[in-house]
Amino acid sequence: MLQNIRRSTQGTAAKVVIGLIVISFSIFGIESILLGGGGSAVAEVNGEEVSSQELQQAVLTQKRRLISLMGDSLDPAMLDDERLSAQALEGIISRRLLQQSATGMDLAISERQVGQLIGSMEQFQVEGKFSADMYRSVLSNAGFTPAYFKQSLRDDMIQNQLRSGLAGSEFATPAELQLNARITQEQRDIRYLTVPVEDVSQGGAQVSQEQIETYYAANQAQFMTPESVDLDYIELTPQDFYRPVAEDDVVAAYQLAKQNHQYQAEYRVAHILFEPGAGDERGTVAQRLEQARARLDAGEEFASVARDLSDDIGSAGNGGDLGYTRGATFPREMEQAIAELELNSVSQPVETDAGTHLIMVTERNEGSVPTLEEMRPELEQSLQAEAARTELLRTVETLRDLAFNADGLAVPAAELDLAVEQASGITRSQAQGLFANPSLLTAAFSDEVLQAGHNSEVLELSGEQFVVLHVRRHNEPELQPLAAVRGAIADIIAENAARAAVLARAQQALEQLRAGSGIEQVATAAGYEWQVELGASRNSTVVPPEVLRGAFELPAAAPGQTLSSVVMTPGGDAWVFEVIRVVPGDYARLPDAQQQVLQQQISAEYGTLVDREFQRGLRQRADISVM
Amino acid sequence: MEQYRTEEEQVEALRRWWDENGRSTLAAIIIALSVGFGWQAWQRHDQGQREAASELYQALLQQVGGTEVSAAQLHAGIELGEQLRADYGGTTYAQFAALHLARLAVERGDLADAEAQLRWVLGEAPGGGDTARITQLRLARVLAASGETEQALSILDQSDAGAYQASYAMARGDVLLQQGQTDGARKAYTQALLLASDAGQQQINLPALQAKLQHLNPEVPADVDTAAAPGALGTAVAPAEPGAAAEHELGVPAAGDRQEQ
Repeated sequence: MLQNIRRSTQGTAAKVVIGLIVISFSIFGIESILLGGGGSAVAEVNGEEVSSQELQQAVLTQKRRLISLMGDSLDPAMLDDERLSAQALEGIISRRLLQQSATGMDLAISERQVGQLIGSMEQFQVEGKFSADMYRSVLSNAGFTPAYFKQSLRDDMIQNQLRSGLAGSEFATPAELQLNARITQEQRDIRYLTVPVEDVSQGGAQVSQEQIETYYAANQAQFMTPESVDLDYIELTPQDFYRPVAEDDVVAAYQLAKQNHQYQAEYRVAHILFEPGAGDERGTVAQRLEQARARLDAGEEFASVARDLSDDIGSAGNGGDLGYTRGATFPREMEQAIAELELNSVSQPVETDAGTHLIMVTERNEGSVPTLEEMRPELEQSLQAEAARTELLRTVETLRDLAFNADGLAVPAAELDLAVEQASGITRSQAQGLFANPSLLTAAFSDEVLQAGHNSEVLELSGEQFVVLHVRRHNEPELQPLAAVRGAIADIIAENAARAAVLARAQQALEQLRAGSGIEQVATAAGYEWQVELGASRNSTVVPPEVLRGAFELPAAAPGQTLSSVVMTPGGDAWVFEVIRVVPGDYARLPDAQQQVLQQQISAEYGTLVDREFQRGLRQRADISVM
Repeated sequence: MEQYRTEEEQVEALRRWWDENGRSTLAAIIIALSVGFGWQAWQRHDQGQREAASELYQALLQQVGGTEVSAAQLHAGIELGEQLRADYGGTTYAQFAALHLARLAVERGDLADAEAQLRWVLGEAPGGGDTARITQLRLARVLAASGETEQALSILDQSDAGAYQASYAMARGDVLLQQGQTDGARKAYTQALLLASDAGQQQINLPALQAKLQHLNPEVPADVDTAAAPGALGTAVAPAEPGAAAEHELGVPAAGDRQEQ
């Protein structure tokens, strides 16, 4: 058979085939065949794929951000993957578009710029200096690889450059400042009086039965009870599974805890590093090592030798000091030497990946191990919680199966020896109690649970709390009987009447004002309070907001002319007001600080708009497809 | 392809082929390699240029990108901008730097310098691109500020705003209002607000634009005889939901009961 193979590979056709294979491998690499291209893309932006890993990473980042932002008050429904991933995808697409636009404009960020930025970030600093260990541990805690982190920093920087170049270079011209100052800094002299609703409602106007019945008949939609459900549910928390802990387990856990690093002896270490190739002009590693030993043997301070000879620039300035270790901070070779060293004596040369070290232990704090009794409460609690959690999860798993197959909750509860609790009158907009939780409400009012009458899934509210529910009764909305709402209707009618009366009084006052009476005269005659505010600006905090808005909505009257009007508050009071004088703003006469604020406001307004339109334009021109 | 009977024959055939084609094959390989390396070297050089410009630009932003800029920072920033324009004239960074120089010029009232910077950017930036359109808009505004309102309007009307319709409309409103053409300004501002907000998703906050529009669009003062229609001005009362009706019975005042009509 080998003969056959050999013969057939000699043929021209075979050679062509092999040639093609060689070419395709050399061009596309073996990965394209082994790993397969695409397939996991969730969207495509101008032909560039967004991978599902990228989306997951973004969702995860967003989750972490939400959790750290809101803490315990976080509503679990906000962590809903579907919702988050839609948002995250939008964000990724926007960033991708900016990125592509930046690349199209030949923007670039050098390795050095990224390095500088990382070096200046406080999260990675220990005592004000960048620490590589800190950097790695912060990143791995956040779930980033250094490469991914650097790439996303680079992307952020480049997008920032783009937006600061286009929108961030926005300005406000002197003419625009003058113009905007004239309008936004305008001042108006306002007089106003209030017609309080109490004045008219005090009489407690009589509402007739007939009025109530007419209102009830005309507004039935307002008097329906809300749709609600009565529920059976089982709630599981770890507390339900707390059991006493066996003594043996506590002892075993204590033995394990004793090994913990925090109880181990602590050493403060200094070193002198000789890095191959670092200081060659001062001799080879061996020569420099010899020199250092000679100086140390002559009785010179370790610190001063370190300052002169160590290639570890970070520590040389501090006399070679590296800080504290409990046996896991430095490479294994170093830790071994440290453990064997006497206090204040210098080690033999130690080889690590960094180079050759001379090490000295400058401080030593013996560890102290707490006794079993000291640690007992802590150990018992953690063992108990751990066992309860395991038991909880096991029960949840069983409950899932049972609840799925059963018609109500009685059978699963009996089988697992759990209690079924009841809740009634739960509405779609429930705001209190356990069922204010949106994921429970969604489940309770879902088709499968509400219409088909199935049990819900076992819902996880937090990592430690589980609920399964069943609808016992569905209460459709129905018209409340007249008797139940009679009082409410009487109130409404009275309130509407009061409003109408307030407005009528206000109109009367307005009429008097327009007829030429002074506001003081009108107010005193009717017993209203009145105020005057000279030079009120658009953002005055003294004038009631309704009056302020109303006064600035009026046209600017000619000098000497007074315009008046009336507004009502949501509370039912009425304000009658008049604008006596309008003074346009003048940029030149504004105080410096205010000039600066206006300048920033106007340029920011153009900037925001340009940025918005820039991104909108990118999106419109882009070819985006979401799979 | 012929079949060869012995190994010697194969070797012989190879040698013959080498004698005929060896020189040209070698030459082809050398040319291909040098073109490849040359291209890479050029790319590296180009990348180096862009990164150097990027570093200068980042330094520029550091000096004059914030809101509080000292005299020394201003000086350093302008110097960096000029250096970018002089040494890296072909890069986008030089254009961005010139846009910032124009901003700084406007801020100190030197409209002529601002105009020169913007005109330089227009000469460099690819036509129809975002940079060119934004620069065109700013040029019109600077011209209007120096009194050339007609020229400003003709730039705004004649150049293609592309994606920047709302910004152009807002600028047109400002120029028209500067000229005292309130009707035109009102139309332009209305258009700007409409175009700005049709983006949908996020509401955009433009308080000055809204104030200007309100100024040009005053409300008529309330008429005295509207008393016949109480709902016209104020708010009529209706319970927000049946739950609120219960609160009424208990005498609990509920502000949420009242809905704006």
